[in-house]
Amino acid sequence: MQPVYVTATAQCLPGAPIANDRMADYIGRLSPEAERFGRLTLRQNGIRSRHYAIRPDGSSDWTVAKLAGTAVRDLIAGAEIDREAIGFLASATTQNDLMVPGLASGVHAESGLPPIELASLQSVCASSMMAMKAAALQVAAGEHRAAIAVGAEFSSRYFRPGFYRDTATVKLDGTLPGDAEFLRWTLSDGAAGLLIEDRPAAHGLSLRIDWISLRSFADRFVPCMTGGGAHQPDGSLKPWSLHDGAADAARAGAFQLRQDVDALYRMLPVWLGEFMRLVDEGKIDPASVDWFLCHFSAHSLRQEMARLAERAGCMIPDERWFTNIYDKGNVGAAAIFLLLDDLMRSGRLTPGQRILCAVPESGQCIMAYAAMTVVEGDSQ
Amino acid sequence: MNAPVAMTTDNRALVEAAHRGLAQTWIEFESALTQIPLVARLLAGKLRLEDYRRLLFNLRQQVVEGSRWISRAASSLGPNHEELRSLFVRHAVSEHRDYRLLEDNYVAAGGDADDIRAGRMNIGSEALSAFMYHAASRPDPVGLLGAMYVIEGLGERLAGPWSQAIREQLGLGDEAVSFLAYHGANDGDHLDMFDRALALAIADRATADEIVRHARIVARLYRLQLEEIDHG
Repeated sequence: MQPVYVTATAQCLPGAPIANDRMADYIGRLSPEAERFGRLTLRQNGIRSRHYAIRPDGSSDWTVAKLAGTAVRDLIAGAEIDREAIGFLASATTQNDLMVPGLASGVHAESGLPPIELASLQSVCASSMMAMKAAALQVAAGEHRAAIAVGAEFSSRYFRPGFYRDTATVKLDGTLPGDAEFLRWTLSDGAAGLLIEDRPAAHGLSLRIDWISLRSFADRFVPCMTGGGAHQPDGSLKPWSLHDGAADAARAGAFQLRQDVDALYRMLPVWLGEFMRLVDEGKIDPASVDWFLCHFSAHSLRQEMARLAERAGCMIPDERWFTNIYDKGNVGAAAIFLLLDDLMRSGRLTPGQRILCAVPESGQCIMAYAAMTVVEGDSQ
Repeated sequence: MNAPVAMTTDNRALVEAAHRGLAQTWIEFESALTQIPLVARLLAGKLRLEDYRRLLFNLRQQVVEGSRWISRAASSLGPNHEELRSLFVRHAVSEHRDYRLLEDNYVAAGGDADDIRAGRMNIGSEALSAFMYHAASRPDPVGLLGAMYVIEGLGERLAGPWSQAIREQLGLGDEAVSFLAYHGANDGDHLDMFDRALALAIADRATADEIVRHARIVARLYRLQLEEIDHG
C-alpha cells in the first residue's frame, strides 16, 4: 500500500481559556456539594483551564459541526494543496448536534469543501482514531490522494443544570451521583484535525503514519461511559427510545452523560495489555519512542498505568510524554488531533523522531495506538 | 519503582517479556472471571449470603492444599535453584494455615465448621490441585512461578475489593471476610517477592515461556474451579 503522511494539522478552541474557578459560571451551578465534588475531580485530573463553546447564560453561536468545520477551514488554509484535491472527510465525535444526519455532513457543510466522500464515526475518544484510520486507509489504498480526519466535541451544553433539573438523577439534597457529576468537571469543547496525503509536504515537517491499531473489548465490559440511556433497578441500561416518549426518558435521566469511574479503573490493565501485545508483536519498541502522546482523561490514570508498565519494560520515561490536557482540557474525540497539532507547532520535532499515540476509550472499552515517524519534505 | 530486583542486563529483556506474557494472561483471566455467574452477581451488587458460603466452602478445599504443593515444588528444586527454593519454603510457611481463616469465615457467615472440613473438592479444584502436584513433582519446576503469579494476583487485585463488596452487600463483619481481606492487604508484598523470584529464575527464553504457560494453565483451571462451585 501507498505510504501516507500527515501534512497539516489545525485546531479550533472556542473563546478564551476558562480557569477552574470560573467553570461553574459556564456549566452552571447545581449545589455547593456538587462544586465540592468538582474540586475533588479537578485535583485528580489536574486540568487547570479549558475552553467552552457555551456562554454563561447557556446560549451559543457554536455547534459541534461548526467547531469541526472551523478546524477544517484552518487546516485547508495551512495546507499545500487546493481543497479540490481532497477527496475524503472523516469526522469523529461523541455526540453529534443532531441524531440524524451524521456529523460529517454537518462538517462538510461548514468546511467550504466541494462534493466529497464522507464517513461519520461516532464513539467516544477513540472515534478520533477510527476517523484517522479511515482517512489513512483511503489514501493508502489509492482511493483518494488526500483526506481529512477531524474530531470535535461540544459537551458543555449537556452539563447545564437544565439537563439535570427534575430528573430522577438529582438527589433530594440537590447533588448528583458521582458517575453523573464526574464528567461535568472533566470534559470541555473544541475541535482539531489532520490532513493526510500520499506524499510528505514539500515544505516543513510531515508525519509518516506507520500503523494504526484499534481494538474493542466490549466482549467483556458493559457500557461504562454512557449517554442516551437510563440505568434500571436490575442494572440494565434502557435506551431513551424505549421509554414512554422523550419526556419520560428525560425524567429518567436518559439524556445525561455518565461515567462509571470504578469500571474505568478495571479497564486500565486491558489498555496496557494492548500495549504489551504490540511490544510482543514487534510494533512498539518503547526505547525508540521519542514522543508519547497519551490521551488520558485523569491525572491519576497516568500514575496507575506507569506503575503497571514499569515491570514489563513498557515504560516510556516522563520526559518523552507530550501533553496539553492541563491547559486545554479533555476534548474527547478532538484530543489526539489537538496533541498532534500542538506537537507539530512546538518546534521540538526533528526528522527521524518516532511518535506513539495512545487513545483509550472508556465507553465500552476500546484501546487504540498509532505510530508515526517525523519526515522532512523534499522542497527542491 | 526501583525495587531491589536482582536483574542483570543479561536477563532483563527476558524478565520483561515474561512480565508482559503474565500481565496479558492476567488480563484475559480477570476479564473472563466477570462472566462467571457468582462473580457477576458480586460485581452487580446482588450476591446472596449462600453464594458467599458456597465460595468459601469451595475455596477451602483447594486452599488447604496450597502450601503442600508449594512445599513439594520446593523439594523438587535442585541445587541450581537454592535461592528460589528458600523463597518457596518461606512462601509455604506464610500460607500453610490460610485455610483456617476460610473455615472461620464460613462459620461467621452462618455455616457449620464440620461441614466445610468434611467437604470435597469440586471438579475444577480437582483439576487445579492435580496439575499443581503434577507440576511440582517434576525436576526444577520453575514454571510454577507462573501459577503463583495468578494466585497471588487474585489476592493482590481482587481479594480487597471483593471483601469490601461482600461486607457491604451482605452486612457482614470483619470476622466473616478475613481470608479475602488478609490477602487483599498482604499479597502486594508477595508480588514483590515474586518479582525477585522471577529475576532469579529466568535464565533463558524456554524458562520464561514455561512460566507464562503455567500461568495460562492455572488461570484456566482456577476459572474452572469457580465455574464448578458446588458441582462436586
